[in-house]
Amino acid sequence: MATRAKPKAPLLPLEIARTGPDAIAPPSTRRRVLGWVTVGAFLVLGWAAFFLAPQDDVQGAPQRIFYIHVPSAWIGFLAFFVVFVASLRFLRTRDLRLDALAVSSAEIGLLFTTGVLVTGPLWARPIWGVFWSWDPRLTSFLVLWLIYLSYLAMRQYVPDPMRRARFSAVLGIVGFADVPVVYLSVRWWRALHPDQVVFVSGGPRMPTEMVVALVIGIAAFTLFYLYLLTVRLRVRRLRDALEEEA
Amino acid sequence: MRILAPAWLIARKDLRLELRTRDIVTSVGLFALLVVVAASFAFPTWGRGREGVAAGVLWIAFLFAGLLGIGRSFAIEKEESCIDGLLLSPAGPEAIFLGKLLATLVFTLGVELVTLPVFVVLLQLSPGAGTAVLILAALLGTFGLATVGTLFAAMAVNTKTREVILPLLVLPIAVPLLIASVEATAAALGGRSLGSAQPWLLVMAAYDALFLMVGLSTFRHVTEA
Repeated sequence: MATRAKPKAPLLPLEIARTGPDAIAPPSTRRRVLGWVTVGAFLVLGWAAFFLAPQDDVQGAPQRIFYIHVPSAWIGFLAFFVVFVASLRFLRTRDLRLDALAVSSAEIGLLFTTGVLVTGPLWARPIWGVFWSWDPRLTSFLVLWLIYLSYLAMRQYVPDPMRRARFSAVLGIVGFADVPVVYLSVRWWRALHPDQVVFVSGGPRMPTEMVVALVIGIAAFTLFYLYLLTVRLRVRRLRDALEEEA
Repeated sequence: MRILAPAWLIARKDLRLELRTRDIVTSVGLFALLVVVAASFAFPTWGRGREGVAAGVLWIAFLFAGLLGIGRSFAIEKEESCIDGLLLSPAGPEAIFLGKLLATLVFTLGVELVTLPVFVVLLQLSPGAGTAVLILAALLGTFGLATVGTLFAAMAVNTKTREVILPLLVLPIAVPLLIASVEATAAALGGRSLGSAQPWLLVMAAYDALFLMVGLSTFRHVTEA
């Protein structure tokens, strides 16, 4: 793999163990700062979600899950968009670092999409009375989750790194192209079945404090995404180095 | 023309092979029939409102039979490294994709052509005015399935467990196609005319066009050695 600058003398696994991972992927001050800023942002989010934002008149306390549910959904989209762009660029350049970026982003996107699928039902139980409803948005996220789960599963079955990267990139493009069609079809599917649970949302009218808390949530989760991305890329680099020498 | 002529040659090769061995159509056709019969026992396919259930049964059968056939069509290329010969030939990857797609489409539609009347009789359906919509839905749905399936089968055949991986890749991506096919088919089996199925037929047409483009532009990345 000619993806990273090779150290002058080949490192044996034993040597890696002796010198520690820092010799291959040196610790970065920037990453550490990003980590602490993320921690700070989450503290601010905790304050904003519980103290700044007023209690919802109709939904009460369960509404507050909104401040982590919607940011999780945003990260899902962002992460899968990054997969898409990295996949397109990979097919053009064949640079395996782009594959590493795509798969790291897919992993984090899957994590946050799982968060959406967990927090959604937790909110729905007290508000709708049921954990699950085939609501268009929830259903779209379920399909999205399945697509990227199969993306990561497929990678397990292709040992050759270059081939795995090519297949992943094609799936990253196909998966993202599928998103609008999924949303459209799932929406019409519901719309044509009027006897289902009516989707009751808070509506666009919200107090300013709620909007501020949401914006803080989106910022905090975006920082978290970026931090996790740098960590995953580092882990991947270390693992590649180990496999290369093994 | 430089794509269509070699694509037609590849499709004809597959069709001739199939005419001689009758490998795919018999096994896949029998499988589709068995799914329809098994599902008739598993689901309430009688009484009022059975059109919805019937549409689901039909598409589950078409989906799994389709996947089986699509997987086979690339497995035969893997034997004796036929795929390498194809890739070395002057036919471009787009032509190989179109050719395999065309052959798969003919096999799957052939199987459906046999399954559909049996299914209508077994489930005591009378599409009547909906027959045209039913056929249109089968055509559009099968085209979309074959398109995505052909792209992914070329990938799956190069993985460690090819039989498992193909449905794993196709099913999530095919969700909108499945929804639209089942809805359009349910409308058709209910004897309703084109109007109520039209949005679903449009979804299928959009899906087909989208993934035909994606398949044509990305196929060369899944086949190169």
